[in-house]
Amino acid sequence: MLTRQLAAPLRRSLPSTSRALGSVRTFVQPTPASHASVQDVSPVPPRGPPSQSQAAEAAAHFAPSSQMLGFKLEVPRREESTLRPIYLDVQATAPMDPRVLDAMLPYYTDQYGNPHSRTHAYGWEAEKAVEVARKEVADLIGAEDKDIVFTSGATESNNMIIKGVARFHKEKRNHIITTQTEHKCVLDSCRKLQEEGFEVTYLPVQTDGLIRLSDLASAIRPTTSLVSIMAVNNETGVIQPLKEIGALVKQHRGVYFHSDCAQAVGKIPLDVDEAQLDLVSISGHKIYGPKGVGAAYVRRRPRVRLEPILSGGGQERGLRSGTLPAPLIVGLGEACRLAKLEMAADHKRISALSHRLISGITTQVSHIVRNGSATGYPGCVNLSFSYVEGESLLMALKDVALSSGSACTSASLEPSYVLRALGAAEDMAHSSLRFGIGRFTTEEEIDFVVRRIVSVVNKLRDMSPLWEMVQEGIDISTIDWTQH
Amino acid sequence: MSAPTRSQVLGLYTTMLRTSRTFASYNFRNYFIRRTKEKFREHANETNPAKVSELYQDGMKELEVLRRAAVVNRLYEGPKLVVEKERLGRAAGLGGGGAGMEASVGGAGQPTGA
Repeated sequence: MLTRQLAAPLRRSLPSTSRALGSVRTFVQPTPASHASVQDVSPVPPRGPPSQSQAAEAAAHFAPSSQMLGFKLEVPRREESTLRPIYLDVQATAPMDPRVLDAMLPYYTDQYGNPHSRTHAYGWEAEKAVEVARKEVADLIGAEDKDIVFTSGATESNNMIIKGVARFHKEKRNHIITTQTEHKCVLDSCRKLQEEGFEVTYLPVQTDGLIRLSDLASAIRPTTSLVSIMAVNNETGVIQPLKEIGALVKQHRGVYFHSDCAQAVGKIPLDVDEAQLDLVSISGHKIYGPKGVGAAYVRRRPRVRLEPILSGGGQERGLRSGTLPAPLIVGLGEACRLAKLEMAADHKRISALSHRLISGITTQVSHIVRNGSATGYPGCVNLSFSYVEGESLLMALKDVALSSGSACTSASLEPSYVLRALGAAEDMAHSSLRFGIGRFTTEEEIDFVVRRIVSVVNKLRDMSPLWEMVQEGIDISTIDWTQH
Repeated sequence: MSAPTRSQVLGLYTTMLRTSRTFASYNFRNYFIRRTKEKFREHANETNPAKVSELYQDGMKELEVLRRAAVVNRLYEGPKLVVEKERLGRAAGLGGGGAGMEASVGGAGQPTGA
């Protein structure tokens, strides 16, 4: 049945195919990949009002039959061409710079060698590219290229470093210090170590998101093996004073200083010697590089020893066995090179856009709180809108891609633990939005977002009885909500 | 090698700008146009021939990268951004093209007790 139906239009169009090449496009149209769809090749019904039998035939045309061998052939219902929302979530992931992709493509096509193959030219060229990339990554953070270990991302780097250092020094030292506002992968690694019998101190933060150095000083014990404090917070943009922390940690022998710099590398100047860092985690896709690649800085002089998680071929100084993904590493290297070149220009630009966004919103809407220190990284602006629920704000802002916190926890409706650690009240933690401004954000987009935010917040507040009560001068915190 | 002439530099500038305009993605297109202008302006008063020559060579290399990157970017073109549509609408005199996606949310944060 299907063959007969397909044969009919084929016969019909054959003469025209021979006449002009263009008419071949009746069957396959070159469309952008996003618009690709199955073309209906059924015979064109005769002009005039369609009869019921014709309509039924058309509907049954793609009904599954035994001839389809279980493959489902569906005509996708083409939706009205929707416009893409504006991307303001670069803390979750950043678009890959086109120049990075251009550097990677040769290693996905022509130069496919395994960088560990020592016996032929394919291996040599891949190895050379990996070593060039290693140098670029090292240059960005002021390290030596041999200190860099490539991993699959910052999560793997954090796991490898925290578990690795703790387990290696388990006999003499069983204490780790971190903060309450770390990324989930650091906190969960620590929780895993607690199950294994380690002791972990989670340092509190002040209302501006910074840790108190005196807290850290009093938390360090003779049994402490590792202090892990992130450089730039992924939800609030707060920048911890790494230099001061490094100096403090280094007063104690045998304590290693690790920093999760996924959000900091390439965005703020960072030097491992200046901050006296022993271990650093780096992510590729936060600096306009590819996803699925990252790096760990593991100091060689003085040597930091850690127990590897993966056992295998002993690649990467034995710390991370497994074949290196040469194309991704080339991409990470190029992203780091560009980040170094563009850092000053990017930072200036992002600061200006950030100021434009904050002043645009705060001049038109009242009762807004900026979470975290105002001196943090300008590309991460975390605002709480009082008397508006964050999730409904996000639902209403369909044409802006935002998140209320980190992408890892965006599926849950729990308020952000980072904001709670900053001492934000539960309702403020619920009504927060994180604006991530990046290299490719434009003024026009910021202005658009400001207009949308202002109109949506005003609209939601007009609907909210809480807002009405606030306007009437009732102090909401005094109301007993549970009475019946 | 000798320093490039004024017309060579200007030629590179216009070609880079033209290539930047061929990016399909709104964000990439605007970024490269802006950065090309900024970079050339930054070094507009450069007089050292060696430095000018070096910058010119870097520019030629970047132009090749941009050319290839723009082709790839066009191959995988996605739908337009909301801001682009709005601008098109405004240019065509339709006005307020971006409207119509207003909040359709009910009862945010309403207290349920009473």
